[in-house]
Amino acid sequence: MTITTTESPAAAPRRGMNILFSLTLIGLLLALWIALGIVTVSFWTPLNISNLLRQGAMTAILAVGQTFVIITAGIDLSVGAIVGFSTVILAWLLQAGVPLWIAIVITLLMGVAIGAFHGFGIVRMGLPPFIITLATLTSLRGVGLLITNGSTISINNEGFTNFARADFLGIPSLFWMVILVAVPAYVFLHLSRWGRYLFAVGSNSEAARLSGVNVNRTIYMAYILSATCAAFVGVLLASRIGIGNATQAEGWELQAIASSVIGGTSLFGAVGSVHGPLIGAFILATINNGANLLNVNSFWQRIITGLLIIVIVYFDQLRRRGSR
Amino acid sequence: MTRLEDIAHRHDEASALLTEGSRVPAGAPILELKGLQKNYGYVQALKPATITFLAGEIHAIVGENGAGKSTLIKLLTGVITRTAGEVLWCGHPVALSTPNEAIARGINAVHQEVVLCPHLSVAANLFLGDEVERHGLMRKRQMEKMAQSVLDDLGFYLPAAAELGSLTIGQQQLVATARAAMRGTQFLIFDEPTAYLTRQESAQLFKLIRRLQSEGVTIVYISHRMEEVFELADRVSVLRDGTHVGTRAIGETNENELIALMINRSIEQIYHKEDIAIGAPILEARGLTGPGFEDISLTVRAGEIVGLYGLIGAGRSEFALGLYGRQPLSAGEVHWMGRKVKIRNERDAMELGIALAPESRRDQGLCLNLPIGLNINLPVFGRLSRGPVIGRAEEAANADRQIRDLAIKTPSRRVPASSMSGGNQQKIVIGKWLSHGAKLFIFDEPTVGVDVGTKAEIYRLFAKLLKEGAGIILISSYLPEVYELADRLHVFRGGRLVGSHDFHAATHEDVLGEAIGV
Ligand SMILES: Nc1ncnc2c1ncn2[C@@H]1O[C@H](COP(=O)(O)OP(=O)(O)OP(=O)(O)O)[C@@H](O)[C@H]1O
Ligand SMILES: [Mg+2]
Repeated sequence: MTITTTESPAAAPRRGMNILFSLTLIGLLLALWIALGIVTVSFWTPLNISNLLRQGAMTAILAVGQTFVIITAGIDLSVGAIVGFSTVILAWLLQAGVPLWIAIVITLLMGVAIGAFHGFGIVRMGLPPFIITLATLTSLRGVGLLITNGSTISINNEGFTNFARADFLGIPSLFWMVILVAVPAYVFLHLSRWGRYLFAVGSNSEAARLSGVNVNRTIYMAYILSATCAAFVGVLLASRIGIGNATQAEGWELQAIASSVIGGTSLFGAVGSVHGPLIGAFILATINNGANLLNVNSFWQRIITGLLIIVIVYFDQLRRRGSR
Repeated sequence: MTRLEDIAHRHDEASALLTEGSRVPAGAPILELKGLQKNYGYVQALKPATITFLAGEIHAIVGENGAGKSTLIKLLTGVITRTAGEVLWCGHPVALSTPNEAIARGINAVHQEVVLCPHLSVAANLFLGDEVERHGLMRKRQMEKMAQSVLDDLGFYLPAAAELGSLTIGQQQLVATARAAMRGTQFLIFDEPTAYLTRQESAQLFKLIRRLQSEGVTIVYISHRMEEVFELADRVSVLRDGTHVGTRAIGETNENELIALMINRSIEQIYHKEDIAIGAPILEARGLTGPGFEDISLTVRAGEIVGLYGLIGAGRSEFALGLYGRQPLSAGEVHWMGRKVKIRNERDAMELGIALAPESRRDQGLCLNLPIGLNINLPVFGRLSRGPVIGRAEEAANADRQIRDLAIKTPSRRVPASSMSGGNQQKIVIGKWLSHGAKLFIFDEPTVGVDVGTKAEIYRLFAKLLKEGAGIILISSYLPEVYELADRLHVFRGGRLVGSHDFHAATHEDVLGEAIGV
């Protein structure tokens, strides 16, 4: 048989496009920073920059977990509630005299359990991801409020609450936590077979199943990772605010989803990366930060975020259509 | 007036444009392509083509996988827009930039992959975009009645109220055909309509095509099956690598000339059957029963092709899925290499050494929006990984080898599978299982939409697998294929095994008779 395969200069069209998209996002972020540097005096102060990095860090970690779920064509609405709930659990354990490290591990394990519950609901009970995670969202807030009786539990562990304010090598410790999560996440999603399975399940779960992919396990994994990332963010938040309060992190799930989508993740599944959501999270954080500095009404911040999502996703659609 | 004409008439009145096509006398040019061209980025899917279609003819288009046949059709039906060139419809240049424009002019197509709504009823699909309404409310009952009479009139015997997704792919194809036929069509294009049809269904379709022709409709017919081209067409055009290499009147050409034009070389023999010693049983199914099949007993030995023939819906694919652990079995035993085994899921099956290349590449075979390389490697990532991390070099090498061996026509393994032509997608599905390797291969309609040259190549691959000691279950609705290849041929009807024959022990007619049940 004659070989008709033609090696053309289009050898890597997809990858080329993806790099282009990442560069556009980074360009947007830099443009925002430069513009804010020009119009405000306080943007490029060390205090403000580390504030920005701290705030962006937590959204970024949530967005990475969220992205795993969205790649499987699912959604995790519960992450904000898990963050709030985790602050409560951690504060409660510390109050009861549990050593810090053990308290953190228990909190993270609780995240694993919540994620596993989501997996169970989707795989075994056949519930849509939207529904089961929505249910967790409301009930976790309720459980947290019951535990605290509607109030807050304060954390008296000095070492722990100093952590979020500390710097390491001149960079806020919370930002280091992003790197701590992002590096293994990158290896997992882009270099390991489990990552490939996430994409395959999101693209066509039947084809994945017939190819020997353990689809159920893959779904469990995605939701467990997302919930665990959220519990981890809960620990960081507790350190930052020094209290446990079930109503914290209100609406963070939407921030996480927005970051992920801005970072190029497709809500239809099977498209996404680790670096995209990270940049997306810092773009959002910059907008909020800039709006504060410019004294823009916080209501406007929400409107701007909404418009930004539309614009970026629209351009992404155009890009995809162009390559068709 | 028949129901069909009646409904078509409704459209005639609605659109003045439509009558344009019917004014062209039979035999005069109705649609002329002048240097029509389409590029996808760097890929020249269709190089400047000049083809004339005559009113009232059946014009076949043939060519290898990826030759540009579907691209041509999508251009004519406004699904994609052309890069350059001109199209004359009844002598006037037309844009054909949207599907609606094509439909308004009376150009319709039945596409290679069915593009209807699986969750709507057959009737709703037939009337989609053109619902019967009164005071803004849909007349569901009336639409169902009209749809049923159209289907009966066409001789398709399909239930109009059924959900489309519950029908077989072949039946869905017939619905798509009925949909095109009732739109007051002047120019109707079929893109491999018989790929998923059984002989009986094909015969119904041919009857319909001839009838439409006698009503003055111009037909374009794309197929990889030469005998169909010679049976139906008046003229035939050949595409090769996006180039139009010739048009012949059917009486002035023959199969060999067409194949030579298509692939620029000749094939002596398509069905490649070597003398391979048949060894010990690999798999024995005893009284297997599950959803869609009942009491199936058969044996597959090393070096043997076991063919499963039957009409669509006869339970062959269900049997395959049951054997593969996708569907639970309710009764029966499976013996693997003489040992009784229980296959609870797909991974159990793969571990034993069973591979299944499923029937529907779109629903079961491929992750369409993911790269070709990922699709090919999906079953073997475990093997390609060291610890948790995938060996990038191995990953690339494995994908590239399958792409080369199967001559999958792609610039790169990173291209998404969806940008491949139908036949090339089928090759990806096969490549995936060749790279996995197995003792028992189940190929469910492996050559649907695959061109002659590659078909021969796939059959040669079968022989290679057999020589390595594997066994093959070959499911096909295309009788010549199973008839010429299978060492043992089993016939399915209504979920049961109704006949078993050794190689060439029964005639085509016997086998067909058993499958239909006469
Ligand atoms: N959306 C797309 N993006 C990029 N390339 C495409 C796209 N669709 C088709 N192609 C390329 O255009 C060429 C022609 O494809 P086309 O579908 O017309 O082939 P075909 O003749 O219908 O083949 P088959 O017999 O396999 O159906 C192929 O090389 C294919 O890979
Ligand atoms: Mg095609």
